[in-house]
Amino acid sequence: MRQALLIAALSAMVSAFGSLSAQAPAESRSVWDGVYTEEQAKRGEPIYQKECASCHGDMLTGGESAPPLTGGAFQANWNGLTLGDLFDRIRKTMPQRAPGRLTRQQNADVLAFLLSVNKFPAGKAELYRQSEMLKEIRFETKKPATKN
Amino acid sequence: MFPSEVKSASLLTVCLLIVFLLLPSVTCAQFHPKDTEWPSYAADLAGTRYRPLDQINASNFNELEIAWRIKTDNFGDRPEYKLEGTPLMVNGVLYTTAGSRRAVIALDPETGELLWIHGEREGKRGGAAPRQLSGRGLAYWSDGKEERILYVTPGFRLICLDAKTGMRIPSFGRDGAVDLKLNDDQDIFPDLETGEIGIQSAPVVAKDTVIIGAAFREGMTPRSMRNNKGYVRGFDVRTGKRLWIFHTIPKKGEFGYDTWEKGSAEYTGNTGVWTQITVDEQLGLVYLPVESPTSDFYGGHRPGNNLFGETLVCVDLKTGQRKWHFQLVHHPLWDMDISSAPILADITVDGRLIKAVAQPSKQGFLYVFDRVTGKPIWPIPERPVEVGDVPGEWYSPTQPIPTKPPAYSRNGVSIDDLIDFTPLLRERAKEIAEKYHLGPVYTPPTVSKLERPLGTLTLGTASGGTNWPGGSYDPETHVAYLYACNSCIEPIGLVLSPKEISDLDYIAGTAGKEVEILRGPGENAGADSQPPPKKRPRSQWVPLNIDGLPLVKPPYGTITAINLDKGEFVWQVAHGETPDVVRNSDLLQGLTIPRTGQETYNVGTLVTKSLVIAGEAQVTTTADHPRGAMLRAYDKATGKEVGAVYMPGPQSGSPMTYVVHGKQYIVVAVSGGPYSGEYIAYTLPSEGE
Repeated sequence: MRQALLIAALSAMVSAFGSLSAQAPAESRSVWDGVYTEEQAKRGEPIYQKECASCHGDMLTGGESAPPLTGGAFQANWNGLTLGDLFDRIRKTMPQRAPGRLTRQQNADVLAFLLSVNKFPAGKAELYRQSEMLKEIRFETKKPATKN
Repeated sequence: MFPSEVKSASLLTVCLLIVFLLLPSVTCAQFHPKDTEWPSYAADLAGTRYRPLDQINASNFNELEIAWRIKTDNFGDRPEYKLEGTPLMVNGVLYTTAGSRRAVIALDPETGELLWIHGEREGKRGGAAPRQLSGRGLAYWSDGKEERILYVTPGFRLICLDAKTGMRIPSFGRDGAVDLKLNDDQDIFPDLETGEIGIQSAPVVAKDTVIIGAAFREGMTPRSMRNNKGYVRGFDVRTGKRLWIFHTIPKKGEFGYDTWEKGSAEYTGNTGVWTQITVDEQLGLVYLPVESPTSDFYGGHRPGNNLFGETLVCVDLKTGQRKWHFQLVHHPLWDMDISSAPILADITVDGRLIKAVAQPSKQGFLYVFDRVTGKPIWPIPERPVEVGDVPGEWYSPTQPIPTKPPAYSRNGVSIDDLIDFTPLLRERAKEIAEKYHLGPVYTPPTVSKLERPLGTLTLGTASGGTNWPGGSYDPETHVAYLYACNSCIEPIGLVLSPKEISDLDYIAGTAGKEVEILRGPGENAGADSQPPPKKRPRSQWVPLNIDGLPLVKPPYGTITAINLDKGEFVWQVAHGETPDVVRNSDLLQGLTIPRTGQETYNVGTLVTKSLVIAGEAQVTTTADHPRGAMLRAYDKATGKEVGAVYMPGPQSGSPMTYVVHGKQYIVVAVSGGPYSGEYIAYTLPSEGE
């Protein structure tokens, strides 16, 4: 019986290591790595203007009712967090009067537009639509020295 | 005698039960707030935000740790990111408002354990309210036997609760509620459900009278020159019966009606008291800080000085009758609402004892008066100011400008105020500023033109100087402590109003931009809000920065200590870490820049026996701390920073303090950006830990 338990425990450990190695993180990514496409940002702009601009401003610079979505204070708020956190803030609480009304795709497109206005570079692949995957992309205010 | 003895005995038994079983520090004595408690929004009815506590001091502030915390996400049907409350702590229980429902919660002040919760589901009426979310707090009242909690819902109903249970008190108003949209000497239009009027500040209770003001939507782009009026009322705390009303816009035949020419008092609205009210219970006087009349930046439809707009009014606590008034700004055109609680200060000027009232302001002046007579302590002469040329506008040729103390924050814009870290940055700032009309305090708005000016560039207006958190005051040393935004720049331009937007001739806007109705903080954000209309007008906001750097030079935000015996500064410091965007700017590499403070308008201060305590309202990431904000402590005598403790998000409500079972706590509301509302209580580590 004891031997059976030992074998079971060993196989559990092996399987745990196996799954760990299968989930080994790909190269860590940040908003400086081209995590959205220009096309996606273009799709996001009219959604932003329709759903968000009356409070956050058509240039994302905020107003009396809502904070800016660009500039120093905004970037400082999110620095060190992930795009998953920002995506969830939008997905769960915006638009303020009808939270959760936009689809995941619309939210991702708005987020892409927001990244483009904040001058983070576009790339070849569109943003994920799942917050768990977006949590793998860091929001970093400062451009890493190695990035061009 | 016997029945009354039995009654007393029963009461004693009940109290003892409560003492031993539930709330250890409840007593049956007549209610006299203690120095260790925080019984009203600003600590006391004098608006001081002062407690003479010193367990937490310069030697140990850095050791503070979190005693308890409570997220407010579930006190409403959506989380809130704008938690502005200051809790009360009386008789061993902490009370506060919380969440998008503006729930009232009672907590154990040592552990944060939830004792009870009360919420009002107001449906469409709550969803249409002009001032939603959790508000700034509530009021406590006791006659030594009963304890009551009073607050105003987003839908503008005054609710009276049993402080022990959180249940409504049926004998107050109608089943514990007074509909504040009724019995207001006006018919709230268009109807009770959607009629624009509400309030977000905490009620004040003084000598059994509850005093309630009124607030409205933001007034930069109103849909009409007509609006509901923001009268102030007193109610009996026992019954909810209206005792008095003060007409902040005089009715025909009342004093000041003639300051509204062409009958404009009849239709002009707003002019409420949306911030905290101060009371001198001994003198029986109430001090009302009144806001702007309808249309913040265009007054062409309300010619005249417009009493009691932007006026400090003293009324009788029992009758609401006006005793004296002083209009800070004639014919208001700059959104210089009197935005914070007047501060009562017993001072000694040139050897003379004076019961004074000091009024902080957005325009950075501290107006100081004898609070019995209304006479300025130091002269406040009428000075000529620029008269503008906006068609149809009416201008006051003079404004009252205090000679003492000096302005404690900027209230005008000149080239000399612009960023000057490098000559190149100054030149870039000049290019932006030259598109606008510049000038000192009370430089009037202009019509916005593409060829220039786009408007008047102002400081010390809508978000400048001291806003709703107000100041603090040390009654022992006679020093006032005032946070001020020194860089909250506001371009004020006017455009012809499209008739489908507003019936005013001019509203705030910028030439070349589509006109929009600007929304106020919390409007349409609370529980039960309705979905937005499909058509969305665009914003007129123009960024006024240089690659993220503020257009004006530091300090961006300050705390100033002012000796009220002398009317002089004791010290002034930049409050808040230098923003990331400045510290990390490529444009400033190689420069050594002293701490700049932050461009925020909503920082509240707390004064204790030895410290001035205030958090940061902006987040930074530095070598010393991860992304977050710091709750800072200054030596109140010198302004020297003596400690700082980490908060996970910005301070969004003013800090308060109390002592329970010999331990001092500091509680502060934290929220903003990614961080949803949370009250955090700090205390010192227990001995031996």
